[in-house]
Amino acid sequence: MLHDHRLFLRDGMLIGALEQMCATLEISQSQTTLAQERYEGVGGWLAESDDPLLKAIGIFLQGSTAIGTTVKPIGSNEHDVDLVAHVPGLGIWVEPTALKKAIGDRLRENGHYEPLLVEMGRCWRLVYANEFHLDITPSIPNRDCNMGGEYVPDRALKVWKPSNPKGYKALFLERVKLVPRFRVMKGLQAEDRAHASVEPYPEQGRFKGILQRIVQILKRHRDVFILANDLDTSLSPISVLVTTLASQSYEYCVRTNVYDSELDLLVDVIKRMPDFIETRTVNGRMHWFVWNETTKGENFAEKWNGEPRRAEVFYAWHSRVLNDIGRLRDVEGLDGLKQRLSDSFGPAPAKAVIDSITDEMSLSRRNGLLTAAPHVGLVTGLASATATPVRSNTFFGR
Amino acid sequence: MRFAEPKPLTAAQQFLLLRKNPLSAGNGTLGSGCFEWRFRATPTPLSRIYEARLEFASDRSPRVYIETPDLVLLAGGKKLPHVYEQSPTRLCLYLPRTYEWQPWMRLDQTVVPWTSLWLFYFEDWLGEGEWRGGGEHPVPRDVERRVSRSRLQRQHPPRERIE
Repeated sequence: MLHDHRLFLRDGMLIGALEQMCATLEISQSQTTLAQERYEGVGGWLAESDDPLLKAIGIFLQGSTAIGTTVKPIGSNEHDVDLVAHVPGLGIWVEPTALKKAIGDRLRENGHYEPLLVEMGRCWRLVYANEFHLDITPSIPNRDCNMGGEYVPDRALKVWKPSNPKGYKALFLERVKLVPRFRVMKGLQAEDRAHASVEPYPEQGRFKGILQRIVQILKRHRDVFILANDLDTSLSPISVLVTTLASQSYEYCVRTNVYDSELDLLVDVIKRMPDFIETRTVNGRMHWFVWNETTKGENFAEKWNGEPRRAEVFYAWHSRVLNDIGRLRDVEGLDGLKQRLSDSFGPAPAKAVIDSITDEMSLSRRNGLLTAAPHVGLVTGLASATATPVRSNTFFGR
Repeated sequence: MRFAEPKPLTAAQQFLLLRKNPLSAGNGTLGSGCFEWRFRATPTPLSRIYEARLEFASDRSPRVYIETPDLVLLAGGKKLPHVYEQSPTRLCLYLPRTYEWQPWMRLDQTVVPWTSLWLFYFEDWLGEGEWRGGGEHPVPRDVERRVSRSRLQRQHPPRERIE
């Protein structure tokens, strides 16, 4: 039982480490607020236009910022903030290029936006250096979609293709609300906790929004994997595909199983992601489908079918991330943890995690709050009658 | 007015207290006025479990060695900080001849938790290459001078520590 207890606490500490790592990689609250002020300003400017194409245009968040799964891109100080500029009165009779141009022209009319503006394939980018950039994609209603979907330009800006950013966000956030079930470990029940040898029960690491954290962990691991293996970043599994598979797998796992810890759940969600890829053989060739569940006809794996190498990269990355997260439990020591995190997620987040553990320990020591408990080790902050307080000392020696 | 110094604990008393505290669970042999005690120490649930040996004799400072794993091997050629000896690795847990540890203090409540604390900063040092547990690195001959300095401390506040 004591052995199980220690293993349980190891899981908690690993979750705490991953939680800390995600917190250092995501867009900060102050940046989010600033981004919001800025895109609301952009929205106001577009809405005041006299151009009939921009009549009643509205701007809203989509993608990772909308669903709380942002991860800072490697080698850049700027977060991507994805926005949709939606014109409710238009239809597919308008060319995607025409609407995109109208938005670009209107932004250029403003001396404040003009110098920040960069034209991208199917969107406009406003670059706020070292903070974030706002990517503004034009959109029109899809009247054939009974789920309230929209059309956005395809990559070539030739035709409209179905999408549903609002519906996607709503479905993802519904899944975020699903509460996983955990077994209560025997050793942690009240009558056992009264026993001196398993006290104290330190504050356990917990994810803030486990599905969002799973997606962030996956995205960061992917970015590091692509870089470390010298792969062309264009082959990198796209975020929406990773997010979709993770959220479908999460829903399945949470509805079907009971877990010992959040780490167990995390590993199982990753393991089952490929189960949600549909495959068909067409003319002797494999085709892959990861459907957008909130509209008809949007396949997030579409590019794999033109370039099967992308599917190979996905599966290679998937087996690597499953292995890396699954083996986190085997780390030996804080130094081992740091090494493992560094290999999987990069040296900077790994250092941030260890620094935070060390700072917490040192702070607790300075404040005279540190205790030591059998099998557990040093405990910060939680006073317990059965733990031994750690008296003040000075390490001496060469 | 001066209070009498608490009476030093005997080797037998220290031995019994170590045996009683689950934190220092282990085994040892008690001799006359001295003993050896082996216990397991771990700084965090993710840390290694280390086998430590505590040597005690009434007339000298308690000594703590780490028996396994081999810290010198783990350090991979780097010189271990805050030790009296590299191998067998004897830890420097407190300032000698000052009042951080005195013979009336329980070993299970001082050097035992300090061992875990030392090991915490050791694992941090292995990954970081920097000792972040604070402390003092004496210059040669400082140990002898420390006797007189520690007497001065009775009237003066403790000197600044490295954090």
